[in-house]
Amino acid sequence: MTLEVISVNIWQILISLINLLLIFLILKKVLFKRVKKMLADRQAALDKQYADADEAKRNALENQVAWEEKIQSAHSEADRIMKEANVNAMQRSDAILAETKERADAMMRQAEAEAKLERKKATAAMQHEIVEVSTQLSEKMLGREIRTEDHRALIDSFIDEIGEDNDANG
Amino acid sequence: MLELAIGIILGCCALGAGMAMIAGIGPGIGEGNAVAKACEAIGRQPECKGDVTTTMLMGCAVAETTGLYALVIAILLIFLAPAQMVNILTSTIGSMG
Amino acid sequence: MQEKTSRFRAVDALLILMIVLPILFGIVLQIATKPPSEGIAISGARIFFTIPFFFQDIPITESQVNSWIVVVALLGLCLYLTHGIATKTKTRRQHFAEMIVEKVTNMVRGNMGEYFTGFGPFIAAILGLSAFSSLMTLVGLYPPTSDINVVAGWAILVFILITYYKLKGGILHYMKSYCEPVPLFAPMNLVSEIATPVSMAFRHYGNVLSGTVISTLVAAALQGISAMTLGWFWGQIPFLQIGIPAVLSLYFDLFSGCLQAFIFAMLTMLYVSGGFPAEQYEKRRLRRSQKKAS
Repeated sequence: MTLEVISVNIWQILISLINLLLIFLILKKVLFKRVKKMLADRQAALDKQYADADEAKRNALENQVAWEEKIQSAHSEADRIMKEANVNAMQRSDAILAETKERADAMMRQAEAEAKLERKKATAAMQHEIVEVSTQLSEKMLGREIRTEDHRALIDSFIDEIGEDNDANG
Repeated sequence: MLELAIGIILGCCALGAGMAMIAGIGPGIGEGNAVAKACEAIGRQPECKGDVTTTMLMGCAVAETTGLYALVIAILLIFLAPAQMVNILTSTIGSMG
Repeated sequence: MQEKTSRFRAVDALLILMIVLPILFGIVLQIATKPPSEGIAISGARIFFTIPFFFQDIPITESQVNSWIVVVALLGLCLYLTHGIATKTKTRRQHFAEMIVEKVTNMVRGNMGEYFTGFGPFIAAILGLSAFSSLMTLVGLYPPTSDINVVAGWAILVFILITYYKLKGGILHYMKSYCEPVPLFAPMNLVSEIATPVSMAFRHYGNVLSGTVISTLVAAALQGISAMTLGWFWGQIPFLQIGIPAVLSLYFDLFSGCLQAFIFAMLTMLYVSGGFPAEQYEKRRLRRSQKKAS
C-alpha cells in the first residue's frame, strides 16, 4: 500500500516539523555547544599562554635592567678602586721620593758639614803651621825674640783674610 | 459510452500534463540568461567567482519555481486527476441511472 | 596525543554502529517489505501501518521511518565527531567538527548579520537533514524529501520563524507591512506571504521528485530499448541500464540533493533576516527601555 504521489497529511507534516526541531536541538546541544566550548577553552589557554609569555618577557627585561645596573656599578667600582690604587701608589711613590730626597739631603748636609769641619781643621792646622813657620822665620830674620802673642794676633788676622777669600772662592 | 468518456478524461489529463510542462520553457530561458550573465561576470572579475556562483545558484533556484509548479501540476494531472474525474463521472452516471 | 584507551575505542565503535545500523535497518526493511515492482510505477511512500487518530489518521510511511533513520544517524555522527574533543589533541574528526561549526557560523553571520548568529544550529540542521534525506537514494532508500509532507513541515517551521521575527517590530508594524503601497494590495501581499513556504516546499519536493521520476522513466526506457535491440534472449537482461542511470543519479541525487539543501538553507536565512524589521525593532526596544526607566 502506498501513498499517492501528492497527499497532504497534517500529522505527517507535524512529525517532520518535530524531526527538524529534534535535529536542531541535537546539533545545538551536541555539536555546536561542545565545539564552541572547546574553542573558547582553546582561546582561553592561548590567551593564558600569551599572558605568561608577556610576563616572562617583562621579567627578563627587569632582570636585564638589574643586571645592567649591576654591571654599571661594578664598572664604577672598578674605576674607583683603580683610581684609589693609583692615588695610593702616587702617594707612596711621592713619600718614597721625599724620603729618599730627605735622606740624600741629610747625607749631603752631613757630608758638607764633615767637609767643612775637615777644612776648618785643615785651616786651623795650616794656621798653626804658618804661625809656627812665620814665627821661626821672623825670629831667625830678626834675630830676636818676638813676643809670640803680638805676632800671633797679627798673623791670625792675616790668615782670616785669606780664609775668607778662600771661602768666597770655594 | 462510459468507456469513451473515461478515454476522453485520460487523454485530456495526459494532454493537460504535457501542456503544463510547456512552462518548462520559461525557467529554461531564464536560467540560461542567469548563467550567461554569471559567466560574463566571472570573466570580468574572476576573483568574485565564489560569490557570483552562490548568487547564481540562488537565482536559478528561484527562477526554477515556476517550472516546478508546472511539474507539480503535471504530476497531479497524471496521477491524481484521472481517478478523481472517473470517480465523479461514475457517481454522476450512477445517480442518473 | 591522547591515550586511546580500550574504553574510548569501544565507545567509538558503538557510535559508528549508531550511524551505520539505522541505515542497514532501513535497507533490510526495504528488502523485507517492498513488493516486486510491476512495470513503471511512480508512487509515493509506502505505508507500513496506520495509527487511527482524530481528525486524520497517521500513516507511518517510509518517509517518516527514513527521517528517523536520518535523525538517529545524525545524532550518532554528532556524538562521534565530538567524542574525545579536547583543546590540545588534534584529531581529524575534531578538525571536521570545527570546520562544520565555523563554516556554518560564518555563513549565517555573513548572510543574516550579527543579531541572528544563534541561527547557526538551525541552518546546520536544515542542511544536514535535507542533504542526508536526499542522499538516501544513494543506498537505494526512499528519500523523505520527495514526500511533500516532510518538506512542508520544514517550510511551515520556517514560515513560523519568519512571522515571529516580523512580529518583533510590533503587531501594528506587521499589519502595516501588508498594506504596503496601498491598502488595496492587502490580499496580494497575503498571498505572496503564504506563497513563501509553499514555494519553498514545492521547490525542494519538486526537484527531488523530478529526479526520481526522470530516473524511473529513463530506467524503464533503457530496459525497453535493450529488450527491443538485443533480441529475445539478451534483451531479457537490461544491459543498457548499467552505466547511464549512474550518471543521472550523480546529478539528481548528489548534486541536486546537496544543492537543494543549500538553497533551502539559503532561502531560510534570506527570508528570516529579510523580514526582520531591524530599525523598527531597535526603535521599539529603545522606547520600552525608556518606559522602564521612567
